[in-house]
Amino acid sequence: MVNPLFQVPGIVSGRALGLILVIVLAILVYYYMSSGKKIYIRRVPGLDAIEEAVGRSAEMGKPVVCSFGIGGFTYWTMAGLAILSHVATLSARTGTRLIVPTGGSNDSLIVRPVAEEIVRNAYLLEGKVEAFDSNDMPFMSGQQYAYTGGYIGILQRTRPGSVIMTGYHASEAMNIAETSNAIGAITISVGAYISNTACLACASDYILIGEEAPAAGAYLSKEPPLRASIRAQDIYKAVSLILIIGGLILMTAGSDIVIRLLVS
Amino acid sequence: MSSFFKSKTAQLTIMILSFLAIFVPYFIDVPVMTTFSTKLITITAIVSAFTLLLALYSQFRRGYTFIQKKKRGWIFKAYMMISIVLMLVFALFGQETGPYNWVMYAIITPLSSVNYSILVFYMASTGARAFRARNTRALLLLITGFIVLFYQAPLTGAFFPQLTPVALYFTNTFVAAVAKMFLISVTVGAIVFGMRVLMGKETTILGFTKEEAS
Amino acid sequence: MTEQKTEKRSIYRMLVEYDRRIIYLFIFVLIIAPLMQPFSLPIQVSPGTMTYYNVINGLKKDDVVLVVFDTEFSGYMEIQSGILASIKMMFEHEVKVAIAVSHPEATGIPQLVFDQLKGVMDQHHYIYGQNYINLGYIFPNEASVASTAQDFHSIVRQDAYGKSIQGTFLDNVNTWKDWTLISDYTTGIQSGSLINHYGLRGTPMIVNCIGVMISTQMPYVSSGIYKALLESMRGGAELEYLTSSPGPGLTAMNSFTLGHYLLMIAIILGNIGYFGYRSEMSRKAKEER
Repeated sequence: MVNPLFQVPGIVSGRALGLILVIVLAILVYYYMSSGKKIYIRRVPGLDAIEEAVGRSAEMGKPVVCSFGIGGFTYWTMAGLAILSHVATLSARTGTRLIVPTGGSNDSLIVRPVAEEIVRNAYLLEGKVEAFDSNDMPFMSGQQYAYTGGYIGILQRTRPGSVIMTGYHASEAMNIAETSNAIGAITISVGAYISNTACLACASDYILIGEEAPAAGAYLSKEPPLRASIRAQDIYKAVSLILIIGGLILMTAGSDIVIRLLVS
Repeated sequence: MSSFFKSKTAQLTIMILSFLAIFVPYFIDVPVMTTFSTKLITITAIVSAFTLLLALYSQFRRGYTFIQKKKRGWIFKAYMMISIVLMLVFALFGQETGPYNWVMYAIITPLSSVNYSILVFYMASTGARAFRARNTRALLLLITGFIVLFYQAPLTGAFFPQLTPVALYFTNTFVAAVAKMFLISVTVGAIVFGMRVLMGKETTILGFTKEEAS
Repeated sequence: MTEQKTEKRSIYRMLVEYDRRIIYLFIFVLIIAPLMQPFSLPIQVSPGTMTYYNVINGLKKDDVVLVVFDTEFSGYMEIQSGILASIKMMFEHEVKVAIAVSHPEATGIPQLVFDQLKGVMDQHHYIYGQNYINLGYIFPNEASVASTAQDFHSIVRQDAYGKSIQGTFLDNVNTWKDWTLISDYTTGIQSGSLINHYGLRGTPMIVNCIGVMISTQMPYVSSGIYKALLESMRGGAELEYLTSSPGPGLTAMNSFTLGHYLLMIAIILGNIGYFGYRSEMSRKAKEER
């Protein structure tokens, strides 16, 4: 059992550092949100692939299939919805049919109306609201594999030019990516689930791994809160990196100060 | 009264108070707050179960409109609604025996198992198609993948036990490192997302559009 | 056009451009054949499985274990061998077992397990309510996991059959501290919640997960939150071998092995085809110049 480096009176043992980190993170997020500074986020290469995919579908006269994942209102779903909005805008602009299969879990029922609103708004802003069809956003099922069956059925029947899987997809992502490849569509996916990432990297033509999806969402939406979040996260990742490298060096030198700090 | 609960301020206030009720006792040991947070969590668990009823209502409302207008595929919608009603009746009156059990174990679970099992075909064809040693990095990846794949086959461990420490080294260092990195990123991202919601910057969760929220 | 039609595809091109259904057919045959005509192949126990075995072996009589079936039925088919072998070990050690489920599809799994382990249960005089209990679907979401960790009896008052749990061995279980061990059989549904509310507080946990989840669970093993990790069907087969209780895992290992080897052969052939076809094309281009 390692002794903590410090203890704050009144705070449960072993949780003081966690509390400090959360408070500092909240301050950082608030600071960047309210600073009014234009925060730079580099353009994620996957976004070019998305634009190329929609353009290809438009040239071939084939629809685009884009899904935002099977989760509820989570970190990944919000990123997925931001990318869906972008895809909807591009589809409306190019006159390409956009199909958005929804479902996969009970939580996705709550997200569905929001996604419908996002797509409708995208069409409205492009002045093509009459092209929006809510029947192109079918709710497959709250059951993961029933959703997969429905999704694959859509791919086999409509033969889209591109399939874009954003948000959180679990094991059904492999089924969908492989079917998409079999029908000759460009496949772009998001590796939100680490277990899937390796398989999706093989099965998809382009992949946005992990944090690239929320960063892409922040880049596209241009909203200060999203960009502030990405900046705060990057700072904390840098802090983690310093702790890891510093801890490694100090542990090798025989000091357990970093471990003691982390259990404080 | 309903306009009060529909307001963004009221929703955010309730959210922040609930958050503090559970967040504070985790760090500061106050027995009264711990008991209160337990009760609040229990209430949340029960209320979230009721969202299924909302989902059911939403599905029936949409389905009814679909069938009434006889849109394309309306017969599948009707089939879905009949299935929901039947399963509800079976579950309420037969509980976990009889027809409910039969539908679950004769239809749903085999279908679910088959869908999951189909993954093996997709994985195999993806592996056969995509693993090409196009450059040095791909070659290194392929060799590493081969070693781990070889190790995963149980027979290999019996005939080539020398491979075990090499494969375990890859799994316990590189794979574990990537998983840890991912975990850190996702955890920080989830916390920041929660903060955005609490600060009222993520209004879609509350059911507001951007125009309504501003 | 006639020229293209009559041009024969070289062997290299065939290796690159074959119909994927050929792979499907081979996989199907290599998986089904060993199941229809079983033969035994040797197996080696991995260090992870040995650790898992040692943790369960270290349980004492009357220790209280929470077994969580955190899986859909499709996942159960993969980790069935680990479930049966490990719970059999627990029954042999005469620990008290409370079974909970976190997915509606898994509500029938406890009865399937009891039916298959009836012999061991009878041998060690397992009585429902005194030595084991089926709590049913009590973990539908994280809030319920959190609630049971803080005050078990506030949310769990009856078992899966509607009977009150008062008077059972669970009377002595109130919070996360009162469990000796949590054994999670998971496809990832509530594993995170169990870690957050039990594991991080100090309740010892062991986990048996599906193959794709192994990499995500590794950080928890190396940080000590999980005492041991049983890796998918292969780990289950190794545990069956260790406990001398052959079951679905060992039966499937032949198919498992052959499937892996087929995949490796397919990758090798694909690469031979890729490099051969590439050099063929560059040779043709040189000739045309």
